[in-house]
Amino acid sequence: MFFHLFIYRIKSSVRNVQLMFWTLAFPILLASFFGLAFSNLNKADAFSEIPIGVVKTGTFGADSTLQSHLDAVSSESDDPLLTITYYSTAEEAETALSDKQIKGFLVDDADGLHLHLLSNGLDETITKQFLDWYLQVSASVERIVRTNPSGAPAISGILEKNVTYITEQKTGANAPNSTLTYYYALIGMTCLYGAFMGLDQVSCVQANQSPAGARLNLAPVSKLKVFACSLCAVTLIQYLTILLLVAYLSFVLHVDFGNRIGFILLASFAGCCAGVSFGAVLGAVIKKGDGIKSGILIGSTMTMSFFAGLMQASIKYAAIKAAPFLAYINPAEWISDAFYALYYFDTYDRFFQNVALLFAFSFVMYLIVYAIMRRQQYASL
Amino acid sequence: MVVEVKNLVKRYGDLIALDHLDMEVREGEVFGLLGPNGSGKTTAINCILSLLSYDKGEILVFDQPMRPTSYQIKKDIGIIMQNVAVIDELTVYENIDYFCGLYVADKKKRAPLVEEAIDFVGLNDFRKFYPKKLSGGLLRRLNIACGIAHKPRLIILDEPTVAVDPQSRNNILEGIERLNKEGATIIYTSHYMEEVEQICSRIAIMDKGRIIAQGTKDDLKNMIRIGEKITIECLTGDPNDLIDAIGELPFVASADAREKNLLVTTERGHNGLSSLVQIVHDKGIQTGRVYCELPTLNDVFLEITGKELRD
Repeated sequence: MFFHLFIYRIKSSVRNVQLMFWTLAFPILLASFFGLAFSNLNKADAFSEIPIGVVKTGTFGADSTLQSHLDAVSSESDDPLLTITYYSTAEEAETALSDKQIKGFLVDDADGLHLHLLSNGLDETITKQFLDWYLQVSASVERIVRTNPSGAPAISGILEKNVTYITEQKTGANAPNSTLTYYYALIGMTCLYGAFMGLDQVSCVQANQSPAGARLNLAPVSKLKVFACSLCAVTLIQYLTILLLVAYLSFVLHVDFGNRIGFILLASFAGCCAGVSFGAVLGAVIKKGDGIKSGILIGSTMTMSFFAGLMQASIKYAAIKAAPFLAYINPAEWISDAFYALYYFDTYDRFFQNVALLFAFSFVMYLIVYAIMRRQQYASL
Repeated sequence: MVVEVKNLVKRYGDLIALDHLDMEVREGEVFGLLGPNGSGKTTAINCILSLLSYDKGEILVFDQPMRPTSYQIKKDIGIIMQNVAVIDELTVYENIDYFCGLYVADKKKRAPLVEEAIDFVGLNDFRKFYPKKLSGGLLRRLNIACGIAHKPRLIILDEPTVAVDPQSRNNILEGIERLNKEGATIIYTSHYMEEVEQICSRIAIMDKGRIIAQGTKDDLKNMIRIGEKITIECLTGDPNDLIDAIGELPFVASADAREKNLLVTTERGHNGLSSLVQIVHDKGIQTGRVYCELPTLNDVFLEITGKELRD
């Protein structure tokens, strides 16, 4: 009997165009859209050395401190910030700037050190920050030496001392990637779209929700048994759709999930259980038409995905900061955070916390469904 | 007794849907449950099947109390619902196999039953079709096949011909008669009196949650005062001139004129057609068509309740 029900439920679910669109086609379309939109985002985030010019006038060589600072951040250093080209006249540097060979140039004339920039941008801001920092520090040192010469030996020690007020969390070897939040939230959304499957199964076994459900209630078999078989079937389908999505993200869009495949499968399964059970509860609790139920389902899952960072990654952090409670009741956040933790951290505490929350959520949802569906007769149909 | 309903009461808030309903269905009969929409037919069926809870009463099926978990009893029941109850994503064959599989777990035993059901409803050419590709009539046939494939002893058909074309309706009615001949007991609910008259061996007429009359169709027609309805077409003269004279005849229950027609209802057990024609001729009126109609179940319902069955 189990096999009979299981196979037919798989057949009917896989052939349900609406169901397969929302659970498989839509996430893959969205993922492809993300792929197109984010293709250059990481390249833009990648830092490359900033080409600047330095005009070597007669006074420039006199300031050996500036030269040594420039050397410290130029291409010859271990951690280069700037690529420096030296010019003998300001006119040559001006020409290079207008030809966009350099982002700006430094000139040390009678009025002091000046930075000439062509436009505003990230590189220009960094260059200006560097120069401001140098001027500020050199002015401070000059003032201290002038007003308190005895304190001069301590200056270098103070300046070199780097005080941090942040505790460092040890991360794994994977490189930071700002687009991962979107993809992980997308997986969260897709897992929750398993709710369509759960919703459909409740409708198929409840006599007051569909004629086929009524026929099933008249058969010599417990509807809870039929429902359990159906849930096994649709959870398997939903799990396979998630694995397809993860495979598509990984192999086609080259989204990095790290290399802990067993844990990725576990997180996907926990997410599927949460999604299917959520839909089952909606189906059992809401006594309205299919359209209204689908609307509520899409609305609620999209809201959860929104707060998990699907539309804008910063929303995820803003929501956690403004209302930490939200993160603790949002299954989409648990799913995306499980993948996030798996990718970034060497330890598993955070990952297992999220997976445990997902299984606990599923268990509670199924308890509610059981409490509603164990009733054998209906007051009205 | 196949089904025995005693003193069944079902309320929806203040509305009494079934009002102390008593009903018996005997082995091998086609039992018709006739009544206007909202009379309680479907509610009665759903209570018998233990799908609906009820406030009071007792229901026995195959002489055993019917409960939601009476799976042994349910194995012998087939239900064809008013609404088509199939799964859109399964083909004709798969639908029948799926529902039959809820009753017959063994695939080898099930396969010939499914084939037989497909043959029975004439869906051989459509076995790989999805329900959405079927016409309304074919869909109803599929609905029937899903309900009877497991060869139940009791088949309940709840208005199976609603919104079905006349040809498909005849096919369905013929099918029901065949099922009965093969040994199944049938409960057939409808608000179409012609269907019930055609196939049912015993009929219960329901109104406002109660059975107001039951018996064979002859029993029911014998319950009422009126006999035949005679129509005489008057080619010359005014039929209104005849009403007083005809109304004085002892066997006439009522007389009326409508355009060129004289409409006379006689009392049960009397005909008097020759007397009526004689009176018409005596008045010098030339007659055209003359015909008699036996009373229908609608007349029975009209006389008992004072309203038409189709109201």
